[in-house]
Amino acid sequence: MKGYRFLTGAVVGALASASLMVAATAAEYPTKPIELTVPYAAGGGTDLVARAYADAAKKHLPQSMGVVNKTGGAGAVGLTEIMAARADGYKIGMGTVEITMLPHMGIARFTADDFTPIARLNAEPSAITVNADSPFKTYEDFIANAKANPGKVRIGNSGTGAIWHLAAAALQDKTGLTFNHIPYDGANPAVTALLGNHIEAVSVSPAEVVNHVAAGKLRILAVLADERSPAFPDVPTVKEKGVDLSVYTWRGIVVPKKTPQAVVETLRAASKATVEEASFKETLTKMNLTLAYADGPEFGKVMQKDNTFFKDLMTKLGMAK
Amino acid sequence: MYEIDMLLKGFANLAADPVTLLLALMGVALGIIIGVLPGLTATMGVAILLPFTFGMDPAPAILMLSGVFFGGIYGGSITAILLKIPGTPAAAATAMDGYALSQKGQAGIALGTATLSSCIGGTFSVFMLIFLAPLLAGIALEFSAAETFALAVFGLSIITSVSGESLVKGLIAGFLGLLLSTVGMDPMGGFPRFTGGFNELLAVPFIPVMIGLFAASEAFKSLGQPASRAEVKVHIGRIIPPWDVFKGLIFTILRSSGLGIIVGIIPGAGADIASFVAYNEAKRFSKNPENFGKGELKGVAAAESGANACTGGDLLPMMTLGIPGDAVTAVMLGALTMQGLQPGPLLFKDHAGLVFTLFAGMLFCYAALLVLGLSSLRLMGKVLEMPRSILTPLILTLCVVGAYAINNSMFDVGIMLATGVVGFFMQRWDYPASPVVLALIMGPMAEASFRRALSLSGGSLDFLYTRPITLGLLLVAAITLLLPLLKHLKGDGGGPTPDGRTVGAGTGGVK
Repeated sequence: MKGYRFLTGAVVGALASASLMVAATAAEYPTKPIELTVPYAAGGGTDLVARAYADAAKKHLPQSMGVVNKTGGAGAVGLTEIMAARADGYKIGMGTVEITMLPHMGIARFTADDFTPIARLNAEPSAITVNADSPFKTYEDFIANAKANPGKVRIGNSGTGAIWHLAAAALQDKTGLTFNHIPYDGANPAVTALLGNHIEAVSVSPAEVVNHVAAGKLRILAVLADERSPAFPDVPTVKEKGVDLSVYTWRGIVVPKKTPQAVVETLRAASKATVEEASFKETLTKMNLTLAYADGPEFGKVMQKDNTFFKDLMTKLGMAK
Repeated sequence: MYEIDMLLKGFANLAADPVTLLLALMGVALGIIIGVLPGLTATMGVAILLPFTFGMDPAPAILMLSGVFFGGIYGGSITAILLKIPGTPAAAATAMDGYALSQKGQAGIALGTATLSSCIGGTFSVFMLIFLAPLLAGIALEFSAAETFALAVFGLSIITSVSGESLVKGLIAGFLGLLLSTVGMDPMGGFPRFTGGFNELLAVPFIPVMIGLFAASEAFKSLGQPASRAEVKVHIGRIIPPWDVFKGLIFTILRSSGLGIIVGIIPGAGADIASFVAYNEAKRFSKNPENFGKGELKGVAAAESGANACTGGDLLPMMTLGIPGDAVTAVMLGALTMQGLQPGPLLFKDHAGLVFTLFAGMLFCYAALLVLGLSSLRLMGKVLEMPRSILTPLILTLCVVGAYAINNSMFDVGIMLATGVVGFFMQRWDYPASPVVLALIMGPMAEASFRRALSLSGGSLDFLYTRPITLGLLLVAAITLLLPLLKHLKGDGGGPTPDGRTVGAGTGGVK
């Protein structure tokens, strides 16, 4: 009898402490290091933003954060892995605008709805940049020439179906012009081709041409943004020129959809504090990148908006699957 | 002269700053280790180290990264020569003759030659960077898609000179490589081709294929050899080549260095292409081209000096124009930017002192490479004395780790093992592996730039003969491709020799 009571007590006690432990782990997240998955190679822009974030986040989370690069498939491999990770907050991901693009191309198993947004960290608009020797001094010159020579203006981008190709295609769609889109293996080779005067323009972000603009080799005619870039206050937006269009690439922290609310809240709070860290801001400034913090819900709206935008655009271009 | 003056000041700056020298030395040592390990490339080494340099001053940060870059390109040759594992793609050309020399018991001299050639080629290229940068930088901008296409075709034509004994088998292997290179994202259309739904195949997993074909296949072969027969004692022997041997190499090294620098300047072409181009030209100018592939010291010297001369060539347009020609320099450009230095013409004007300190440091890096390389060779050579029962599993482990490390992907390990099995049978039936590797490097480049050139010209094929560089390269390619065929038809050389064996089967017991 005594033994029976002892056993009951032990079981109850064990259950009670187990449930207490469960409650405690949820409250104490994180109890072990967090892995930040980056879908692009080490040393690239996305990787450096992620490393600066992981480094600065140490002060705002009780556990450290390590960066793991999972490259391949234009980001599809890494993003798929983030989507399929256990939703416990120990494997979070660096999401990029490709989340809203790749699913429509039929090369991804995820959709934008498979991720819970935590915080957008950075955003860069597309820009129309020409060689300094180019006869086109203004956006109007450029458009007038494109109108007079349909299909002759060669715009270099970072790859077919990549963000800067879609930006140029969207501009074409909105203005009714026809460009000759030339895909390169990334933004750098496209810029090199522009420097060598092999193409008329590129549609990459201002951050990717800023060195050459400063050296007087290239000229930015317009940005496809909602407002003028703080780095180039003299460069107009296409909105000012009557074209209602803005195309941004962005980077931000995302987690798998089923991640518990408490974990999401912890990460959101930590991210909010992390982007205020001087070291994080400094890294972005050095890389000529723009800090564009947006909290989870706001970031989610951007994702939804882009998702619809790119779906429509890719359907029009015949790229959607 | 201004440059010499500034360079001397640069050396004085460095001498006053031993920590910087120490970090550069560490960079070279790390680079060699990274190069030795298959799968870890110079690009990856520089990228991994990059975040650690953020807290440093510009000179030590950039020099440490340069050290890793230089050491990484060189380090690949050590395992290529000793074990036929090209640690980096550039060393695939070194493996052909280097491993054959090793099999003949001349590993030491092959390693020594590789080290000397790397150092001379690299130093030469840094001097070009110092004195001729503004003159040569223009080449980078001349290269558009049409020129790149012609270069890739020239690269493909080199298959004829790396085919080993049988030209036909070489061409078969080359076409196999070209077929493989069509797997992945269509470079112009942006849709997946032959990927079977695997996102991992959106880019051809080039390095796992290379590790599989060269290293894993060799390991599989030795697994099939009974231990008693395989225990051939190989000694490292003499390291520094005697003067009368080295004398014969000087022209090869100088020519290869020049080629390496030019290939380096060309955007999109890196050390892997430079080493094959240099190898090809060394064979073309040789009095005994039939010795290449069977253990010709000139082959090692050419491939290594070409690959390391490429480093200075790569850095040249990056520093003077701010355009990175390949993946390593793209990361290095990031490093300079993070240090608050904007590469381009202004860099030389605003930060001349620092730039020349960097140049002086780069020369120091190559001197360090020579010393570290030569002094570590005896230790590395101990590998040859290891019993096969230990060495073979060790090689296979390295293959698995290396294939995994590139993308942190088990999928790549599977690719590596599968190509290892293919490589085993290729070796057994005397099909050379180098043409496959060459086709995998050049195939996507040729396809993408041809279609890009067509797109740029609005669909006209005129670019094939109206652009001088394109035409010149295409003609050289035609000569490279047709000469061995003509010789073959005439019946002197190029065809299978009576014994019909390849280099790889040197100690072979498989047959």
